[in-house]
Amino acid sequence: MIGGIPLGDALLASGALFLVGLAGALLRRSAISIFLSIEVMMNAANLALIGYGSALGTREGQIVVFFVIAIAAAEASVGLAIFVALFRHKETIDVNKINLLKW
Amino acid sequence: MNPALPLWLVPALPLAGFLACGLLGKKLGKSFVTAAGVGSVGLATAVAYARLLPFFSGDHAPVVERIGPWITAGGFSADLAMRLDPLSALMTSFVTFVGFLIHVYSVGYMRHDETEAGYARYFAYLNLFMFSMLTLVLAQNFVLMFVGWEGVGLCSYLLIGHYYERQYAADAGKKAFVVNRIGDFGFLLGMFGLFSLFDSLDFDRVFGSAAADPAKYAPFLTVVCLCLFLGAVGKSAQVPLYVWLPDAMAGPTPVSALIHAATMVTAGVYMVARCNVLFRLAPEAMGVVAVIGAITAIFAGIIAVAQNDIKKVLAYSTVSQLGYMFLACGVGAYVAGMFHVLTHAFFKACLFLGSGSVIHAMGGEQDMRRMGGLKSKLPVTYWTFLIATLAIAGIPPLAGFFSKDAILAGVFEHERYVLWGIALFTAGLTAFYMFRLVSLTFEGSFRGTGEQEHHLHESPPSMTAPLVVLAVLSFTGGWIGLPRVFGEGADRFTAFLSPILLPLASAEEKAEHALSNGTEWLLMAVSVAAAVAGLLLARSWYVRRSGRPAEAIAASFPAAYALVAEKFRVDELYDALVVRPFDWLARMLWKVVDVLIIDGILNAGAFLVELAGDLLRFLQTGNVRNYALTLFLGLVGLLLLVIGFGT
Amino acid sequence: MARLMFDAAAIFTVLFAAVMVVHRHPVKSVLALVVSFFGLAVCYVMLSAPFIAAIQVIVYAGAILVLFLFVLLLLNVPEETRGRDPRPIQRILSGGALLVFAVYLLGLLRGHGAPAGGPGGTVSFDVAPLARLLFSRYLLPFEALSVLLLAALVGAFVLAQQEKGETRR
Repeated sequence: MIGGIPLGDALLASGALFLVGLAGALLRRSAISIFLSIEVMMNAANLALIGYGSALGTREGQIVVFFVIAIAAAEASVGLAIFVALFRHKETIDVNKINLLKW
Repeated sequence: MNPALPLWLVPALPLAGFLACGLLGKKLGKSFVTAAGVGSVGLATAVAYARLLPFFSGDHAPVVERIGPWITAGGFSADLAMRLDPLSALMTSFVTFVGFLIHVYSVGYMRHDETEAGYARYFAYLNLFMFSMLTLVLAQNFVLMFVGWEGVGLCSYLLIGHYYERQYAADAGKKAFVVNRIGDFGFLLGMFGLFSLFDSLDFDRVFGSAAADPAKYAPFLTVVCLCLFLGAVGKSAQVPLYVWLPDAMAGPTPVSALIHAATMVTAGVYMVARCNVLFRLAPEAMGVVAVIGAITAIFAGIIAVAQNDIKKVLAYSTVSQLGYMFLACGVGAYVAGMFHVLTHAFFKACLFLGSGSVIHAMGGEQDMRRMGGLKSKLPVTYWTFLIATLAIAGIPPLAGFFSKDAILAGVFEHERYVLWGIALFTAGLTAFYMFRLVSLTFEGSFRGTGEQEHHLHESPPSMTAPLVVLAVLSFTGGWIGLPRVFGEGADRFTAFLSPILLPLASAEEKAEHALSNGTEWLLMAVSVAAAVAGLLLARSWYVRRSGRPAEAIAASFPAAYALVAEKFRVDELYDALVVRPFDWLARMLWKVVDVLIIDGILNAGAFLVELAGDLLRFLQTGNVRNYALTLFLGLVGLLLLVIGFGT
Repeated sequence: MARLMFDAAAIFTVLFAAVMVVHRHPVKSVLALVVSFFGLAVCYVMLSAPFIAAIQVIVYAGAILVLFLFVLLLLNVPEETRGRDPRPIQRILSGGALLVFAVYLLGLLRGHGAPAGGPGGTVSFDVAPLARLLFSRYLLPFEALSVLLLAALVGAFVLAQQEKGETRR
């Protein structure tokens, strides 16, 4: 393969992916869907990091992404545990209905 | 001059007495208090005379003894320093001696009625008073004098309210303090003025600068002197601030004798005399002093005529006599004024202590209408009282005649004939009401209850001895200041005080104003005539005709009589003009400003916070999507801002 | 050529992410996301990060999303109901904000569009430098990470516990 990837392409992809995730996080009503959208946003960030790392010729970007993925795993497991506990009590995943903290 | 005894020892000894009686008196008992309280003053008197006697006989150069630096702040400094000069020596001589006599008298008077605590408290405060008064007269600068000034006011309050369980006494104490305060305000203003003019409050510096350059300072001194005089008006109970003194009779009688007759009330006169250099440069101020003195003298004299409480008569008499002293100072006869201070201390103290003896014998009764015929039962009291009355009436050769005559002569000499006329009439009035008092109390037949009659007895020696001493002084005290008609040099008193009190008058001026011998004799005769007239009228009405003429007059002019008997309702006037508005104002400030406005603002603040909280809680929808959206909107907002600033 | 592959993979990724966002059925959503992540892995490879690509597939697609699936299947999460959103304001505001943000992002990216990046011409598959960095400079975070994972494990376990007396679901 010849040729590196221009940074602009990577960033554009990252931005588009981020917007998709953001839209999902704001517009969906299901808790799972919101969670998944957040994961998408994180991946968009990862992509941007890798892109920059490649553009600057260093491995630091990949290191960061490495950690991000590991932490995303931890976070996902805890988040799903919360989801499980929530679902057991409320029997719904509609976030509109989960409003115990309402005034 | 005895170098071994410093001046500050004289006030310090009573201060030690105050501490001893105050701290230990209750525990160690009445004997200790007597020893400490009376002993300290006795010692102080001895120390004072150890310094005074050489001073009197030697040269009268002023002595300043500096104890140490006291206040230094910026451009202002005041030292702790005491001054011995003819004026302060004069004051010290009778303050200590008369004070000592009254302390001795108090032992007999207070011993039986008081608890240990009350007895100790009384002597402690009395000693504190002596300390303050001596500080006042021995001070070398206005600040230290003011310390003493305030101290005597405080002690006056404490001692008037000695029987503090009686509402009347407590109120009287407060009244004295508050009215005094008004005067003190004037004194302070005067001090501020003096400092701004002279950059110092030391007597030598102030008086020296004023004398050296009169033209520079004279325009401002009128205001300053009037402010200082306001202080004297308060302290020495002149119109319009005299109202506290009659009420002050609620205190024990020895207190009335010491504080409200002989010493504290004369502090105002002393102050004016001390500042004569300044007053001479402010003739308008002097005029005010003279007029107020005269008005006070006659006004109080009129009220005294219709009073039935023996102490009230004496109180108004004091106010009236103080008016005389100020009249003298106001026309420029400072020596005459101070002379009267001295003689008044003797006979007024004697009169008050004598009345105390009477009240003691009557078991606490003070209304003269229930007395009478005490002459036989209380002989020593009667004779000493009579001597003192003759003195105050101005009958020669007793002391009061010489001092009063000196004043009248001085007023006439300075051509203030209207004031002279007022003073003369008041002299007659004085004789009248004083002999009315003597007649009602001692002459005739007893009008009290049987029980009281049974109780009548002469007072113990601790009380009668001071009476005798004071009576002797009332008789002989005037002889140091014989008028000039008896020969040059007869007036040793004037010679003694002249350097201090007449520095600006030159010999020519004196000669110009001097009265001829003939005029002097004539004036003397006139004043004696007035006094004798008053005496005879009183005896006629009250002894021979048992008061019927007076009753007849009172019946014919009931409104006028009521007005005079009720002291012209001045207290009621003040109440309506001053006290009630202030009360209203205080109430207003409390109910409206404090509660409504200030508390209201604070409460409103709290209320607003609560309200904000109440409204803001609607942001907590509990809906996660809302929160996410809010976060995102915030982010977008921030980004827009960045775009705005960045590009 | 590399660029072409990258662009294709990127479009692929974004497309399937969109599918995930749109779909109502939760399981179908997750599966779409799995596919999307595969595309993302290809993107990583094109950007000289083969190790990360592998991690992405193994951990993200293979573990995390599988976990998601497990939960969904375990709890029998229903399909998201179609229904009128009781709060349309939310959608309106979201839409507006998204639009603004999109514009902003594009504007931002325009500045970086120039191919000033890209150091070399080749795509590198060398993992060794990464390993060297990871085990020297970033050793401490690496070890701390294991503690973090332990904490997450315990936390998840505690949170998902059934309370006493509750029947097994």
